[in-house]
Amino acid sequence: MFHWLEKNPFLFSVGVFLVIAFAGLVEILPNFAEASRPVVGLKPYTVLELAGKEVYKKDHCIACHSQLIRPFKAETDRYGQYSLSGEYAYDRPFLWGSKRTGPDLHRVGNYRTTDWHENHMWDPKSVVPQSIMPAYQHMFTNIADIDTAYAEALTVKTVFDTPYDTPNGVKLGTLDEAKAAALEEAKAIAADMKNQDVKDAVANGQIPEIVAIIAYLNRLK
Amino acid sequence: MQSNAALEYDYSVAKLFTYTTILFGFLGMLIGTLIASQLAFPELNYLLGEYGTFSRLRPMHTNIVIFGFTLSGIWATFYYVGQRTLKVSMAESKFLMFIGKLHFWLYFFGALVAVVTLLMGISASKEYAEFEWPVDVVIVLVWVLWGISIFGLIGIRREKSLYISLWYYIACFLGIAMLYLFNNMEVPTYFVSGGIGSIFHSVSMYSGTNDALVQWWYGHNAVAFGFTVPIVAMIYYYLPKESGQAVYSYKLSLLSFWGLMFVYLWAGSHHVLWSTVPDWMQTMGSIFSVVLILPSWGSAINMLLTMKGEWNQLTENPLIKFMVLASTFYMLSTLEGPIQAVKSVNAIAHFTDWIPGHVHDGVLGWVVFMIMAALFHMAPRMFKREIYSKKLMEAQFWLQTTAVVLYFTSMWIAGITQGMMWRAVDEYGNLMYSFIDTVAVLHPYYTIRTLAGVLYLVGFLMFAFNMVKTMTASRKLEEEPQFRSPMAA
Amino acid sequence: MNSLMIKALAFAAVLIIATLVVVKQMNIDLSDPINMITMLGAVAIAALTFGVSAKYVNQMKTDRAEGELTEENWDGIGEYKNELPGGWAYSFLGVLIWAMWYFIAGYPVNAFSQIGMWNEEVKAYNTKFEETHKNADEATLQQMGESVFLVQCAPCHGETGDGLSGKAQDFGSRMSKEQVLYAIQNGSNQLGYPMGAMPPMMAQGADAEAIAEYVAGGMKGEQPAAFAVCSSCHGADGQGNSGMAPNLAVYDEAVVSHTLEHGKKGQIGKMPSFKTMLTPVQQKALAVYIQSLSAN
Ligand code: HEC
Ligand code: HEC
Ligand code: HEC
Ligand code: HEM
Ligand code: HEM
Ligand SMILES: [Ca+2]
Ligand SMILES: [Ca+2]
Ligand SMILES: [Cu+2]
Repeated sequence: MFHWLEKNPFLFSVGVFLVIAFAGLVEILPNFAEASRPVVGLKPYTVLELAGKEVYKKDHCIACHSQLIRPFKAETDRYGQYSLSGEYAYDRPFLWGSKRTGPDLHRVGNYRTTDWHENHMWDPKSVVPQSIMPAYQHMFTNIADIDTAYAEALTVKTVFDTPYDTPNGVKLGTLDEAKAAALEEAKAIAADMKNQDVKDAVANGQIPEIVAIIAYLNRLK
Repeated sequence: MQSNAALEYDYSVAKLFTYTTILFGFLGMLIGTLIASQLAFPELNYLLGEYGTFSRLRPMHTNIVIFGFTLSGIWATFYYVGQRTLKVSMAESKFLMFIGKLHFWLYFFGALVAVVTLLMGISASKEYAEFEWPVDVVIVLVWVLWGISIFGLIGIRREKSLYISLWYYIACFLGIAMLYLFNNMEVPTYFVSGGIGSIFHSVSMYSGTNDALVQWWYGHNAVAFGFTVPIVAMIYYYLPKESGQAVYSYKLSLLSFWGLMFVYLWAGSHHVLWSTVPDWMQTMGSIFSVVLILPSWGSAINMLLTMKGEWNQLTENPLIKFMVLASTFYMLSTLEGPIQAVKSVNAIAHFTDWIPGHVHDGVLGWVVFMIMAALFHMAPRMFKREIYSKKLMEAQFWLQTTAVVLYFTSMWIAGITQGMMWRAVDEYGNLMYSFIDTVAVLHPYYTIRTLAGVLYLVGFLMFAFNMVKTMTASRKLEEEPQFRSPMAA
Repeated sequence: MNSLMIKALAFAAVLIIATLVVVKQMNIDLSDPINMITMLGAVAIAALTFGVSAKYVNQMKTDRAEGELTEENWDGIGEYKNELPGGWAYSFLGVLIWAMWYFIAGYPVNAFSQIGMWNEEVKAYNTKFEETHKNADEATLQQMGESVFLVQCAPCHGETGDGLSGKAQDFGSRMSKEQVLYAIQNGSNQLGYPMGAMPPMMAQGADAEAIAEYVAGGMKGEQPAAFAVCSSCHGADGQGNSGMAPNLAVYDEAVVSHTLEHGKKGQIGKMPSFKTMLTPVQQKALAVYIQSLSAN
């Protein structure tokens, strides 16, 4: 009954395309029309936090960690307030993840601290003896890529109007200004840390990846 | 019976992709086995310094098996099935030959770049879309070349009517093209910022919930158009061809195809149930997932019915065994998926090991079984030698079947247990288990899964060995076999 | 039923039973609706897949392939004009009708709010919880405290509350000498006691040492004279002047609740605030439990 279509590859392909494109339109468009609006008070990431997010992506923490607290009592008891759409407004890409080999991290900044992360990232078993999370000791020596983080901030500011350099907001400024600001932020974190190499590096104006990722994890609230 | 004796098909491109199928299959599953063992024995995270942690290797595993192994398999079979069902030889067109070879070499180059960048940690961190924009560009070019091959071959065809397998290959081509493009809309930061930072880095065009929606519209359908549609294309050719049986029902083929095309695309939001995506969209994903059972099972049933009355073939021909079991695993994963898409079930299943369990029912039992069977079937025709060893193939079949069963039973139990433990409350109503309790309890199941990985990998090595021997050392064939593939005991 | 079907269903049954056994070992309550639906789903997956595929594989044994062939033929592959298998066709139709019904009548797409569901669940639960445990006795509170502790506090303080060799407070004793010295040197202004801030450097050198030794030793033995300066706020017994300043002798409810409320940054490191994460009853339970840790 459809043999005529199977003899006409062009119409056949157009038919397939229409059938599959249709659903996409209905699913995607409505939510786009109502673009992701930030929740009140949400600030864009600082350059150091962005550099930390980059480390999170580089070492692919998303392989084991979600950042999405579902509205179930068991989850809000464990992790805190369920996640809201507007909290992700500055997340490009989103980092919800799809597997919880480790716990959710969307609000980990509320209940873990710099010194804990330092211990944990150096050797997870030292704080959670049964942990199966790998140690990330290379983060204590690898230097974070602040330039790329700045480039990202500048890009989202220019292309997507992400509100940097607004009154009472996050200042971005020039590359040099941004680097100086990131270093200040890094110093505050390093002060709470114990690893001497990290402290020395920061004192010398370099920011190890561990400092950046802690800045990012502390920001997750 | 029509005979193709007059036509000499040219398999040079199909052969090239056959080699990479085997190569990437081995690599991908080796890494799969390694990451499986890292979850059971975390000390194994430190074999390769910063490059050897579970988290660096996991995307290597998924990308090598998807973009390396499966894509190679799809193309090896396409460059074989395409010629034969359209009744044209690539040798008839210098242009198509050139495009086909370019397709392969550009792909191989892209794959190398992809592996290196992932290992270095250059990743967009979107699942199954980890590649940064330069790799995306290569992929798009490769895809265009494949399109030229498909429609070029169709353009010079002798067989007027497209065989079912081609419907599915065309759908695979169109579906992935659309999905990949939209999901990878990203802005390279190097250019916008005027040359600051890494040239590879980009930001997604979409943010937050919107990004999630596009990503899983892609992610779900990448499964559909990568792990389902082209594999169905294969079974519709290789099972009837190997068995000599006619396809059971044209009507069933037709309804399953158009049903699948229509329904699949709606189901993507079952990956974001209970998230911040609007409720109505989630509900729609759940409903369509359940509807999807039928078009999926339609193809599987059509294939099983094609073998009606052929019990002797099932017991005697290991290739038929592979394909019949592949259909069964296809049925398993396409029933399991929809049930996991029911909201209440997803509340437990999501984020747990039940999902990788579901995934590997599909990929190990269906995708890999089917691709291996296809390669086995093609080998005597492409290399003009009989298959090296039937015994080895039998042994491989049982080994790998055991492995898949171990994989999914262990992950099924692990996932359900963990999902329920996360929710469990004590007599006072407080959470009963700390997170680490729910990790520690999984150790035995992670160990079983590791064993499954080892068995499956050994099976794949037996396959690779058998293929290489077939290519090089097996008895030469005078004449191309019409149906059943000849194999030495 | 023939042997293949029996084997297939037996396999499905073994899988389900194994799952049930493991889940039961973890004391999971299967009457919870979500758990129940999940188990039913698992049964459906196993039974239907193995049953239906066994049915078709059986047909390979018993039936014969027949029907009218279409005129096409590709590379030797033919095609029958057979009708759709009835079971499949009716199921498809049935599922489509169900989907329409679901959309339009049964469960209109916009009639459900997951946040609304959460609100109801949590409200109902909290009312009941506070009601039941308003006057909970010591033993109940301690057990409850332990379970909350293991989930929320153990990642820092260790499962036994020993502070993981100096990474956080060790609840085996009240404070270490270093911690007291740190407080003397730096003062303290974060816990929100009625007395407000404690100024730094109220004792120095050997005095400070002696005080620290004394406080860390559990305030036993002879009180050093210099402790007088501390007594003005913390009381002569160091018990905190009925809640005006922290109790330095033992963990009392005030120490725990002030720490949970405000967090604390000290000589060891930083403890986050748990202000929004715990209910009043849970905080009380934690205090009872922590007291019990240093008691023995
Ligand atoms: C192999 C899986 C795995 C990988 C990869 C992994 N983690 Fe974990 N993570 C875990 C597990 C399991 C836990 C729970 C046990 C523990 O605390 O160590 C955990 C816990 C955590 C916690 C504590 C959260 C809490 O609520 O206690 C943080 C923070 C964390 N991981 C961050 C990271 C970061 C950052 C990365 C990537 C650089 C990462 N993890 C990679 C498995 C992993
Ligand atoms: C002016 C009143 C005052 C005096 C005098 C005083 N303290 Fe305190 N102390 C406080 C207050 C108030 C706090 C809680 C401060 C906060 O909110 O962080 C405190 C906190 C502390 C803490 C930290 C307790 C904890 O649980 O973290 C220690 C230790 C301590 N004092 C020891 C001493 C010693 C030793 C002396 C004598 C040298 C002393 N204090 C003198 C008012 C005082
Ligand atoms: C992220 C780590 C972390 C978590 C989680 C944590 N704590 Fe702490 N806690 C600390 C650290 C570090 C200290 C020591 C601070 C110092 O004095 O330097 C501490 C100190 C304390 C103290 C002593 C405060 C004092 O004034 O002497 C109490 C009581 C306490 N924690 C209770 C709890 C309870 C109850 C929980 C769980 C609900 C908890 N903590 C969770 C890190 C943590
Ligand atoms: C009717 C068909 C199917 C449906 C409705 C379906 C449904 C689902 C659902 C609900 C999830 C889990 C989402 C989550 O909670 O995280 C999932 C995950 C997945 N499925 Fe399926 N599935 C189907 C068939 C298949 C097949 C045949 C394969 C492979 C051969 C497959 C591969 C996957 C993969 C790879 C994932 C993991 C996605 C991730 O990374 O999170 N699915 N599927
Ligand atoms: C020897 C065989 C294999 C083993 C041991 C194995 C092991 C694993 C492991 C351990 C994971 C990570 C699961 C987790 O994060 O908890 C994984 C993920 C995955 N594997 Fe495999 N794998 C194998 C073969 C394959 C093959 C052949 C394919 C595809 C053709 C495949 C596709 C996937 C996919 C898509 C995921 C991601 C699943 C998800 O995110 O939910 N695997 N595999
Ligand atoms: Ca996943
Ligand atoms: Ca990309
Ligand atoms: Cu899906």
